[in-house]
Amino acid sequence: MRTSPTILHVDLDAFFAAVEQRDRPELRGRPVIVGGDSRARGVVSTASYEARAFGVHSAMPLRTAAGLCPDGVFLPVDGAKYRRESRRVMEILGRYTPLVEQVSIDEAFLDVAGSEKLFGPPAEIARRLKAEVRDETGLTVSVGAATTKLVAKVASDLRKPDGLVVVAPGTEAAFLAPLAIRRLWGVGEQTRLILAEHGVRTIGDLAALPLDVLVRRLGAHGAALHDRARGIDPSLVTPETAAKSVSHEHTFDVDTADPEVIERTLLALAEGVAARLRAGGVRASTVQVKVRDSAFHTSTRQRTLPEPTDLADPIFRTALDLARPEVRGRRVRLLGVGAHGLGEPAQLDLFGEEDPRRHRAAEAQDAIRRKYGTHALTRARLLGDPLADPGGRDPLQPLEGRRVGRALPAGGPDDRGRAGRPPGAGGRTPAPDDDPPTP
Amino acid sequence: MNLSVIQENLARGLSVVSHAVSSRSTLPVLANVLLRTEDAGLKLTATNLEIGITYWVPGKIETDGAITVPARLLTDVVNSLPNERIDLELSGGDRLHLRCGRYETHLRGIDADEFPAIAAAGERPTTRVSQKVLKRALSEIAFAAASDEARPILTGVLTRLEGDRITLAAADNYRIAITTIPGLDAVEETSVVVPARSYAELARVLVDTDDPIEIILSAQKSQVLFHVEGVDLVSRLIEGQFPNYQQVLPTSHATRVELDREDLLKAVRLAAYIASASANIVKLQVAPEGAPQVTVAAAADVGDHQGVVDATVEGDGTTIAFNAKYLGDVLQNVDADRFVIELNGPLSPGVFRPADGRDYTHVVMPVRTAS
Repeated sequence: MRTSPTILHVDLDAFFAAVEQRDRPELRGRPVIVGGDSRARGVVSTASYEARAFGVHSAMPLRTAAGLCPDGVFLPVDGAKYRRESRRVMEILGRYTPLVEQVSIDEAFLDVAGSEKLFGPPAEIARRLKAEVRDETGLTVSVGAATTKLVAKVASDLRKPDGLVVVAPGTEAAFLAPLAIRRLWGVGEQTRLILAEHGVRTIGDLAALPLDVLVRRLGAHGAALHDRARGIDPSLVTPETAAKSVSHEHTFDVDTADPEVIERTLLALAEGVAARLRAGGVRASTVQVKVRDSAFHTSTRQRTLPEPTDLADPIFRTALDLARPEVRGRRVRLLGVGAHGLGEPAQLDLFGEEDPRRHRAAEAQDAIRRKYGTHALTRARLLGDPLADPGGRDPLQPLEGRRVGRALPAGGPDDRGRAGRPPGAGGRTPAPDDDPPTP
Repeated sequence: MNLSVIQENLARGLSVVSHAVSSRSTLPVLANVLLRTEDAGLKLTATNLEIGITYWVPGKIETDGAITVPARLLTDVVNSLPNERIDLELSGGDRLHLRCGRYETHLRGIDADEFPAIAAAGERPTTRVSQKVLKRALSEIAFAAASDEARPILTGVLTRLEGDRITLAAADNYRIAITTIPGLDAVEETSVVVPARSYAELARVLVDTDDPIEIILSAQKSQVLFHVEGVDLVSRLIEGQFPNYQQVLPTSHATRVELDREDLLKAVRLAAYIASASANIVKLQVAPEGAPQVTVAAAADVGDHQGVVDATVEGDGTTIAFNAKYLGDVLQNVDADRFVIELNGPLSPGVFRPADGRDYTHVVMPVRTAS
């Protein structure tokens, strides 16, 4: 047990909207909604605090937001700009400790246990880094300081924007007890409903529930919640530099059940993912597909490949195989193809089965697209109707930062599943799809 | 059984055969060494069913007999005894009694009949080869064999007898080492795959002499037996087809580099300190003709490093990345002052040879990196 609240959770306040308001003074004080055109499909990525006053929140369909906030300023997602700003903020955090675990584009955990002699107690460090971020980037962050990542995360969310909440060691359970159960990681809509049957509304209620009841209703997840309700969280701040995954998604303008459209879209997404893998010099060992239907029901399936790849064809074939049973009989709103288990640069085989000419062909494609633009070369099958655009997210841009799939806003503004992230989830905690996003 | 041997001779014999002792076996007798009087000496045998090693210790036999005793225990005891005469005697049927100076030991054993039968030399050798030549060849190629069992055939060394030439080849998925040495007898063409582990043991037995080692292939080509004075080593063979490596050997090159082996090995080891922090990849940057140097570079989160090695370069400049382990292995194991490296761009195999022109080829596949 730590004797000092040395784990900080730093969260940028209404990040995308704040960047836009900083750069365009005329937007300050106005409701800004980043996500795309108000008539577009897709969802809100970030709403400014002014827009939140109208009830707009992230992951809400843009059209619903437009209904609630007709005078809102709707802006497209400028991923490159937000990534640049994110890097500046993360650089500032890195001045206080090398133990910075960036969880997404707008939040990070810091472990400052070794930094107290240099910079003072955690609360002082939090104040200093808040001031530095504000002075150097014009953005505000909210910070939670506690003995565990779990409590720090809850604390940072408590007094947004520009907040600082320090939870003293030993008071974690008491701090959590009065808070609504939804503030706890891993409590999504399904879990909340089950817990409600037992009269659980606050984290304190959950802590009072016997372990065996939780395990009976929720299995292993229940046991984890039993600990979390008391602020117990053994996970460490683990800085990682390598990207964890690459994924591309496409939201259809009109929901579709047409197998041909679905197949071609998967192919286009697979091409984009493969090009990003090659640009990053990595191969993926696992392919994942995500299917969301018109009822907003989302399912994901994944499969490990016999050998890691950075080529579109094996990714496409696997994705198609995985998607087929998921799309049958459903009208599809969104398709996603992801590549996980990114591995080191490829050691070429001496007696390998793989035909090296395929790689040369793919690399030639990459070279042509670098030189003449992303649309210079297209698969014949993808000619015609505008589909998911594999070049839309600049697939030739190398992987950068960390956890690309998580950190970058998904291609389409419709990135609800991605936004709903438990903190510290480097693939350790599955992201519950029903978690409310909080950019 | 009643005999006398000199401690030094028995200790040497035990150290040779103990490599074949099975440390983890369901057959308890395989953890034992077989002692049997034969031809006016003491014959020591151990086996793990993949290889069997037999060693003759000179001695003075009073009465014949045989027993097996725990190899590890006997070796430890004998190694600690003074270098004097040891009297060995069977006592009570299942005990070996050792007496050496003022020390006396009884070891409980297992009946010799329970020990598996091991093939012995005696047939006419299939061929013979200079011990010195084979020893060097084995040390230069056997390390390249695969250590994991994913493709069992690659855990072996292809051994092809053809006329008076013996070709040895070992490969894993990413590299291959090939050498051809002269045999002393002409034989019909035949190929077997010998476990690399067996060759590693054989290399220990061989000494730097031109005295020949006899190679005897069993009639069904299921076993191979190697015989030198006082030692037999029998090995099972690996069944299956060794990959056709001829087709992966480059036949031309765009870049030819010649450099000092030690210099390059030093540079690779230095770069590997950095490289090992990530994917263990080092890059060789070969300057074009006219700028005679090779830069060995590595980069990782922990930092980066580069070192320059003098070289003569013919042809194009190029940059190629290799796993540092594979570079280190070939540079460390091949006996040559200077090396030739032939390259064909960043994605084609690199060929390493001793510059003296003898028949040795080592091919390493590169690592594809983000350019």
